Amino acid sequence: MTSVVDLALIAFVLSTAVVTAALRDVLGSIIAFSAYSLGIAVVWVFLRAPDVGLTEAAVGAGVMTVLFLLTIAKTVRPTGDRTLERVDLKGLVVAVALVAVLSTTLVSLPPVGSADSAVATDDVTNYYLENAYSETEVKNAVTAVLAAYRGFDTLGEAVVVYAAGISLLLVLRRGVVG
Amino acid sequence: MSADANGSRGADANGRRDADANGRRDADANDSGGEDARPPYVESPIIMATVRVIAPFVFTLGLFMIFHGADSSGGGFQGGVIVGTVVVMLGIAFGIEMTRSWIGPRLAIGFVGGGVLAFLCIGVGSVVLGGGFLEYAVYADYGVPHASKYGIELVELAIGVIVAGIVTGIFFIVAAGMADDGGDFE
Repeated sequence: MTSVVDLALIAFVLSTAVVTAALRDVLGSIIAFSAYSLGIAVVWVFLRAPDVGLTEAAVGAGVMTVLFLLTIAKTVRPTGDRTLERVDLKGLVVAVALVAVLSTTLVSLPPVGSADSAVATDDVTNYYLENAYSETEVKNAVTAVLAAYRGFDTLGEAVVVYAAGISLLLVLRRGVVG
Repeated sequence: MSADANGSRGADANGRRDADANGRRDADANDSGGEDARPPYVESPIIMATVRVIAPFVFTLGLFMIFHGADSSGGGFQGGVIVGTVVVMLGIAFGIEMTRSWIGPRLAIGFVGGGVLAFLCIGVGSVVLGGGFLEYAVYADYGVPHASKYGIELVELAIGVIVAGIVTGIFFIVAAGMADDGGDFE
């Protein structure tokens, strides 16, 4: 069930990924990476995961791009006129081999949208879908799981973000506090 | 707020930073010319005008996502990132130093700490009142209407505040490494 839009989207994501890796100018590479993130965000929406898509668009395409841009302001532009990076054969072989190994798991995945995939038939999934609204009064089941059923996990995540962020600010404190 | 004052302050800081960055860069990498410098802030009337128009809308979208994450897609995390993005946009348009001095150094850290504290209070509060951790139903006995719904939205708000603070803080930190007085962290 692949439409033209799906194929175009996959072609876009793949080509921006290759461009990101191949471009020699880091600025161009970052812009291509931003486009790649945007493509991936649309892929998430296609896979019926709008929450993840929003996260990818906001973090991957938005904030990360700005942080990368700020970082490369400290670097220098490579000399020479070539547009594309030289392909490192050893690195290419390793990358292709890694993709090949990971691709072997593809055959064991259920097709997209399959009704008898492990996720859709799982008891926990069905419990959430049936009881989330009556028990938590929120319509977004993802939010119900995150903030109610798995609230303790979410608190753990929030504390991890807090700890990581505050340590970063402390280590590099001269910029913000000092 | 006066645009002229913003612009000139940004330009001053920028000019100083440019000179320093060039000097350091030439010392570090002799094979590269001085024209390689990419100043972090370029004063552009187009970017300033665009940001001035769209920033309120982006901010509203972020708040909408935080407050309506319970009933539609999105949530505290996504909304928090978008709210943080507003600060990033202001920094890009009006100069990072200028934005930082406008926002102040402690707001982001206060946001992060306050968010975690609020989350903890909501979670532990239900234990204190005799329920389980984050058992929102307990609050209903104390007269909170739709305790579960509003409890979840409060938690989402706390997450949004944490994330917005972190995004802002990291943005300023990464930008601050950019030699605003002639070098990296001494």
